[in-house]
Amino acid sequence: MKLLKPTNLRSRLTFWYVAVLALLLFVYAAIVFAFQYAAMTRQMLHDEIQDVVTVEGLLYFDAVGQLQLRQDYFSRPQSHLLVDRYMEVRDISGKVLYRSPTLRGMPLDGPIRNGEGDRSFNERVVRLENGNHAFIISHIHGMDGRILLIRLGYSLVPLRDRMLQFLLLLVIAIPLALILAAMAGQGIARRALRPIHTLTEHATHISASNLHDRLEVPNSDDELGHMALAFNHLLGRLDGAFQQLRRFTADAAHELRAPLASIRTVGEVALGQGTEAGSRKAIEDILEETSRLNETVDSLLLLSRVEAAEAPGQFEIFPLRPLVEEVAGLLGVMMEDAEVKVTYAFETDKPIQADRNLLRLALVNVMHNAWKFAPHRSTIQVRSVMAGDMVQLSIQDEGPGIPPNEQEQVFNRFYTGSNPPGGRQKGTGLGLSIAKLVVERCSGNIAFDSGMTSGARCIIQLRSIAHNPNG
Amino acid sequence: MSSQPRILIIEDDRKMSDALVSGLESAGYYAETASSGEEGFYLVHKLRPDLLLLDLTLPHRNGLEILRQLRQDGIDLRVLILTSHNTVEDRVEGLKTGADDYLGKPFSFPELVARIDALLRRMLPTSDPGPLRIGDLTLDLRTQSAARNGQPLDLTQREFDLLLYLTQNRGRIVSREMLARDIWRETSRFTPINNVIDVQIARLRRKIDDPFSVKLLQTVRGLGFCLREP
Repeated sequence: MKLLKPTNLRSRLTFWYVAVLALLLFVYAAIVFAFQYAAMTRQMLHDEIQDVVTVEGLLYFDAVGQLQLRQDYFSRPQSHLLVDRYMEVRDISGKVLYRSPTLRGMPLDGPIRNGEGDRSFNERVVRLENGNHAFIISHIHGMDGRILLIRLGYSLVPLRDRMLQFLLLLVIAIPLALILAAMAGQGIARRALRPIHTLTEHATHISASNLHDRLEVPNSDDELGHMALAFNHLLGRLDGAFQQLRRFTADAAHELRAPLASIRTVGEVALGQGTEAGSRKAIEDILEETSRLNETVDSLLLLSRVEAAEAPGQFEIFPLRPLVEEVAGLLGVMMEDAEVKVTYAFETDKPIQADRNLLRLALVNVMHNAWKFAPHRSTIQVRSVMAGDMVQLSIQDEGPGIPPNEQEQVFNRFYTGSNPPGGRQKGTGLGLSIAKLVVERCSGNIAFDSGMTSGARCIIQLRSIAHNPNG
Repeated sequence: MSSQPRILIIEDDRKMSDALVSGLESAGYYAETASSGEEGFYLVHKLRPDLLLLDLTLPHRNGLEILRQLRQDGIDLRVLILTSHNTVEDRVEGLKTGADDYLGKPFSFPELVARIDALLRRMLPTSDPGPLRIGDLTLDLRTQSAARNGQPLDLTQREFDLLLYLTQNRGRIVSREMLARDIWRETSRFTPINNVIDVQIARLRRKIDDPFSVKLLQTVRGLGFCLREP
């Protein structure tokens, strides 16, 4: 499907290919045209010289001293050689002695030039009175003691007509050839780019699922092989960096746990043994903060664990509704306490495929987030519908909503929005990032509806089983 | 040697082990500490403790190796593992190697004492838990109902479970971790559950304490909750 769609590179390649070809064809046609014209002109000159020689033998003065052309040597009148030939004979004073009927009384060129036809044939193009052009030569010829100037020419009209036809042929044939070339070019470009498409799709798949995979290198010696190798090298380094980062998060969290444990135990033991009121308050505060810190550490560890988890494969298949009800049951007491009503509309019962435990955690976090922002005595609407081949769950509260520029950032780690919840418990700032990571690990997606004018609407889309080919 | 149960703590974090000794002695145990496996082995043989608190991340020798060695040597003592590597796999590994219980760091001290009590009680003849009664609060397991001063309390199932748990641990402090695991059956810890617990406790308190002058359910800041007569 993707291959049918013209891609930029392919179109650009074809365009350049066609442009270069057009230029080449144009230059080629021009050269051929010029050569052809020159060759035909030379042929014409050659014919004219022969004609002059022939004509010299055919000229004679008749009884009254009129110059005539002997016509009787033709065996047949049809093969009249001189039919499209112009001829004019003048004596040295410029007086016209003979003019061929084809000229219809028009002079063939003007007065005699100085030394015309003396040594060379003075070949030239002249314009007749009727506007046609003729290619003529001149020759001095002595006959019966008189000096005659013979001018002989061919009309250029047939030649120019022929050349025009040739030009027309080129004008039609070149675009046709270019269209064919463009089609062939598209085909060639597509063939040439197909391995790149394959590589791109593969690479996209890798970056979407996990960085452990590598591209196939069909031939490490060609350009594509080099590219694949470079890609793999890059992936390797990225993978290493990511693993290092993940390990760092996990290691840091573990390292934080030990001192946290000490602080907590020391504090709790001290509290248990009774202390005076002032230090008691201090220890209580320390313990509460320790507890919050510990929540953050646990969340970080959870994040790094989900990140390190292998690509989705053997997810469970289960209906969404009982899971949502389970989450609602867990948080029900908080909703009730805040007099927040939760309404449910399950418009699809299609099972989904996901990691149930993690998804439960994600839903708890999203619902908890909605609860945090829901005003007293408001409603949270939970709704599941089909969206294409995905099951879509939306959780909508009547809180202050999320400004459009923060709708992506709320999923960032440790992000606290510009609209913090009033009064209710401060979180770790990791709940929504955990939810996002989990949903994406389950090949789903999560976002806040940007079309909301009041309240916030979190939309979670999850793969339903029918359309998850192999996970 | 006293009749107090003896506890050996193998833990390389000095502050932690000092606090544990102090806390356990207040709770009525005799406790000693070792900061390495070798010292631990020596003390196991010298002290003959009833229970071993074993940290898994120790210098030189991993806690699990120590445990394996102890079990190979056929030494009979209860072992409670303390570790900050608190994953299901680690837990299974620890229990397979021969630990009796497992507590992830950071743990709540009241829970540690409760676990130790439970482990040591297994050795002793089980004592009668006694009637489920604190002051004028009574619980009836058969009908799953509670009453105060003869006045029946209208509790949800979860509130009853919570009250029962607090009653069974009366006088002791119950941490949020304990409630999350034992009442809500949550295997992993996450922030919202603490909110849920706090709200649930507040609601329970409204029902069992608010109408009465004597308050039984107390919040111990920094530690958890406690059901006791003041």
